[in-house]
Amino acid sequence: MSRKFLDTESPAWVAEGLITEAQRARLLARYPPDAVQAVGLLPLLGSILVGLSALSVVAANWQRLPTAMRLGLLLGSLLAAYAGGEYFLRRGNRRVGHGLLGLGLGLFGASIILTSQLYQLVGYDVSGLLAWVVAGVLLSYLYNSQVLTLLPIVIGVAVQTYCTQALGLFSYATIGLVALGSGYRWWRRPDTLVGSVLSLSLLWQVALWVALSHAKITWFFVPAMLIYAVGDWHPTRAAGRALQGPALVAAYLFALGLALFGETDQYADRLRPPVLAYLGALAAVLALSVAGKRTRGNLPSLPDWLLLLPGFYLPGGLPLAVATLVVLYAHAGSVLARAHRSGEAEQLTLGTVLFVVATMVAYFKLTWAFLDKSLFFLIGGVLLLSLSWYLRRRNASRLAAGAATVAPGAAASLPAPENPH
Amino acid sequence: MLTRTSPSHRLLLRLLVAAQLLYVLGVAGAGYATTAYGQHIWLGTQPVDLHGLQYESFVRLRYTAATAPLTAWHGAAAPQPRQAVYVLLAPGSDSLAAVAGVYDKALTPSPGQAVLRGWVTEVYNHTLGLRYNLERYYVPGDSPLRLGKTSPAVRVRVSIAPWGQARIERVELLKPPIGAR
Repeated sequence: MSRKFLDTESPAWVAEGLITEAQRARLLARYPPDAVQAVGLLPLLGSILVGLSALSVVAANWQRLPTAMRLGLLLGSLLAAYAGGEYFLRRGNRRVGHGLLGLGLGLFGASIILTSQLYQLVGYDVSGLLAWVVAGVLLSYLYNSQVLTLLPIVIGVAVQTYCTQALGLFSYATIGLVALGSGYRWWRRPDTLVGSVLSLSLLWQVALWVALSHAKITWFFVPAMLIYAVGDWHPTRAAGRALQGPALVAAYLFALGLALFGETDQYADRLRPPVLAYLGALAAVLALSVAGKRTRGNLPSLPDWLLLLPGFYLPGGLPLAVATLVVLYAHAGSVLARAHRSGEAEQLTLGTVLFVVATMVAYFKLTWAFLDKSLFFLIGGVLLLSLSWYLRRRNASRLAAGAATVAPGAAASLPAPENPH
Repeated sequence: MLTRTSPSHRLLLRLLVAAQLLYVLGVAGAGYATTAYGQHIWLGTQPVDLHGLQYESFVRLRYTAATAPLTAWHGAAAPQPRQAVYVLLAPGSDSLAAVAGVYDKALTPSPGQAVLRGWVTEVYNHTLGLRYNLERYYVPGDSPLRLGKTSPAVRVRVSIAPWGQARIERVELLKPPIGAR
C-alpha cells in the first residue's frame, strides 16, 4: 500500500468510522513519505558519473599504460569493489553492498579477459573463464541476494556462448556448474525470477550444444523436459512452475511450428532422431516427471506432456499438420479444464489464448487455399469474435460458480459467516 | 545461508577474493612463463592494414600460415569448419615458419619444429583456412606500427609454452619491404 493511497483514502475511513483521527495520524506517521529516498539517490548518481569519467580516462590510455600499472589498476579496482561491498553490508545497506559485490565479480571476469589480452595470450579451452563461473556460484552461496544469484547464471551463458562460438567446444563444466551450483542454490531458496532465468540459461546452453554437435534439433527436448521434470519435484508449486515455464514455451512453439510448416517432408525429415533412442530417453524423463507429479500431488498438470508427442515421425504433409492441430487443441482443452476445476483466472486466460491460437492455426491451414482472401479474413474474424465471446461468457459463469461453491465451504470453517450465499 | 555478515562469513568472502586475485596473477604469470620457457617462432603476415588503428587499439594480422594446402591435412576424417587442429610448423628458407602439416590430434614435433594449435575456418577445394586466435594484435603505445606507415609487412614473434598456450611476443617491421630476406 503506497503512502499516496493512504493520504487520499484515509479521510474517508475516518468519515465512515473505520478508524479514528488519532489512528489515522499514527498510520501516516508509520509510513513516512518517500521524498527522503529520492534525495538519497543523488550521491549515488554523482558517484556513478565520477566513476564513468575515471573509466573513460583509463580506457582511452589503456594501451599506453605500463603492464604493471594495468595489472595494478585491475586488481585494485577488484579489491576496492569487494571491500566497498563488505563495508556497506556491515553498515546494513544491503542493496548497495550486493551491487558492489556483483561489480567485483564483473571486474574479476574483466581482469581475466584483459590480462590475457595484455600478454596477447591465447586460450584453447574455457578453463580461463570457468574460474569466473566458479567464483560467481560460490559468491551466490555467501549472500542472500537475488542479484548475486542471477549473476553466475548470466555469466554461464556468456562463457558458454563464447566457448562454442570462438573455440568450437562445448563446455560441459560450465553447464554443469550452472545446473548443479546455481540450481541447488535456487532449490534451497526458490525465487520465481531466478527459476525462469536459470531455466532459460540452461535451455540456451542446450540449444548451443545441439547446434554445435549437429544433432537433430528434437534432441533439445530431452534435456529441456529434464529441467521440466526437476520442476515437478520441487516442493513449492510456484517455484516449480517458474522453472518449467521456458521449457513449456519452447515445446509449445515447436508444436506450433510443426503445425504451420510441418507439411513439407524436407523439414520433417530433419527432426527425426533414431526412434528407439529418442523415445526411450523421452520416456525415462516422462517417468521421472510423473513420479514427481504424483509425489507432489500435481497429476492434473500431466497433459503438459501432450506437446511432446512425437508427431514428426508421421509422414510429412497434411496428416502431420492435422495430428499436430489435434494435439494443440487437446493441450488447450486440458489447460482450460484444469483452470475450470481450480478456478484460477490467470490459467483461464492462458487456456483461452491457447484455444484461440489453435483455432487460428487450424483455420489458416485448412482454408487459406480454398477461400477467396477477403472471405477468408471475414469468416476468420467472425469466427474469432464469436469464439472469444463464447469463451468469456463461459469463463465468467464458471468463475462465478466457482466462487459460489467455495464460499459455503469457507463459511463453515469461519465462526461468523457474513454472506454464505 | 547467512543473511547478516558474521566474522566467519567475512573470512569466507576474503578467501574468495584472495583466490580471485591469485588467479588473475596466475594468468599474468602464465603470460610471462610462456615467453620465458616457451619455444619461439617467427610468422610472416600479409601487409597489415593500419586504418583501423584510428578507431581501435588493435590491428588484424593475416598470417601466411593461415592457409594450408589440403594435402597437408592428416586426419581420420575430412576437416570440418570450426574443428580444433594442431598445426606443425617448420622454419622455411627465410626463417619464417611455414605449415608442414595439419593434424587433428596432438603430436610431438621433432627438433626445430613447433606445434601451434588452431581452428579450421573454411575448407576450400584445394586449401584449408586456419585461425590461430593470434589474429588480433593489440598495438602497444610505443610500437613502430603506431607511426602510421601504410600497410607495412611485418613478422610476428610467437612464443609457444610447453603446455600449449601461445602468445604474441612482439611484432617487427620488415624494414626494406622484401630485400631483407
